[in-house]
Amino acid sequence: MTPRALLGAIGRSLAETLASVGRFSGFVITSLMWMLRAPFYPRELLAQLLHIGWLSLPVVGLTTLFTGGALALQIYAGSARFSAEFAVPSITAIGMVRELGPVLGGLMVAARVASSIAAEIGTMKVSEQIDALRTLAVEPMQYLTVPRVLAATLSMPVLVAVGDAIGILGGYAVGVTRLGFDGGAYLRNSLDFLEFWDVASGMIKGAVFGFLVAISGCYFGMNSGRGAQGVGEATKSAVVMASILILAANYLLTEAFFSA
Amino acid sequence: MIRAHDLEKSYGENRVLRGVSFEVPKGESLVVIGGSGTGKSVLLKCLLGLERADRGSVEVAGLANPKPQVLAQHVGMLFQGAALFDSLPVWQNVAFRLMRGRNPLGATEAQALAVEKLARVGLGPETAMLFPAELSGGMQKRVGLARAIAGDPPVLFFDEPTAGLDPVMAAVINALIREITRDLGATALTITHDMRTVRDVADRVAKLHEGRFYWQGSVAEAFATEDPVMRQFTRGLTEGPVATLR
Repeated sequence: MTPRALLGAIGRSLAETLASVGRFSGFVITSLMWMLRAPFYPRELLAQLLHIGWLSLPVVGLTTLFTGGALALQIYAGSARFSAEFAVPSITAIGMVRELGPVLGGLMVAARVASSIAAEIGTMKVSEQIDALRTLAVEPMQYLTVPRVLAATLSMPVLVAVGDAIGILGGYAVGVTRLGFDGGAYLRNSLDFLEFWDVASGMIKGAVFGFLVAISGCYFGMNSGRGAQGVGEATKSAVVMASILILAANYLLTEAFFSA
Repeated sequence: MIRAHDLEKSYGENRVLRGVSFEVPKGESLVVIGGSGTGKSVLLKCLLGLERADRGSVEVAGLANPKPQVLAQHVGMLFQGAALFDSLPVWQNVAFRLMRGRNPLGATEAQALAVEKLARVGLGPETAMLFPAELSGGMQKRVGLARAIAGDPPVLFFDEPTAGLDPVMAAVINALIREITRDLGATALTITHDMRTVRDVADRVAKLHEGRFYWQGSVAEAFATEDPVMRQFTRGLTEGPVATLR
């Protein structure tokens, strides 16, 4: 490949990436605008709260339970090197609520929910159900996207809070049964060193991650290609995009919340 | 009434519609025929406002270049695959539009209306509580038809109404379409490549060919004409002016 051809290929790739970012940003802005316009669909919102929030509890709970346990073990192994084992409960709790609860919860919800939203809306598009909605005087953005995005944004902070509690419980179980901590002292140490902002920042992260998960699922579903391959591609892209956005947003939010 | 004037629509280099003009007077049933990929569905989407034409104008039920949301209360549409909403039971599919928007019907009233419309297309009240996935292809088409006529619209569109159905069920759907459009006094536009549908449903036939209405006439004329393009299509001949891949 000649240098000129290489530059051309890089340029085209860059232009396509920028165009994709522009389309996605446009979709986000359009979704936000539709949130402010009547009619609203409270039944759809409730159904999505159940689907995205309630039904994600088991997967988030199991993820944080095991992560809390593993985190306690790791911190114990590390802190033992400089005789700081007493810090295991507090560092496990802070690690869970600030970072691992929201990020792992967000990634698990991305895998479960972004894929399901993209597949559902993609299939609706392929089978002309989206067109049918429009011929029945219902705007698909309002009926499909808004309830899903709102439900994910509202339910993720709750999922994160529950996940945090379960993660701390996982650490507690390992601490008491495997590491020889006294149960009462472990809990006291966990809670005494936690500050309000530790928990609140994690929940704010959760809301942002929930928004990103649902908007990615809706975007790729609405722009799904034809046939099974198109829907499959949309599903995969939704999960990848949601996961990358979560990790990037996590860094930016952490910078914003905790940088000195 | 349905009217299109000089409609043009392209996708990149592909000029799908190249100046389609026609008029369907009130109460008439026009069937548009054409091979796969000739732009029949694109034409329908332009008429429904689902696609914006690059050029030209559309008038449906007295509304000029209407948006689908505005058009919804004046038209009913039967999609090729019925396009029923999987997550809703049949009765909610049928009464979908009437349960939303201004002055929505309550659940009891909507369900009663849905059962009435289902009866109109030959389905019993027990169907109302089923989900689309529990229905056969023919039943899905009937439910789609019930949804299309739920608001007694003055204009009806049918996209390949018999696609994927066995001959007997296709004849049943054609008969229902004919009966219902007559009873409602509706103006109808059907796109199909099923010649049985042409015979059963049409007052007038138009052939979409190379992006334009190539031929228009009565049903009898459509089957009698010696025009080579029409002759090849209506008789399903492999030899003729339209190239076929074999």
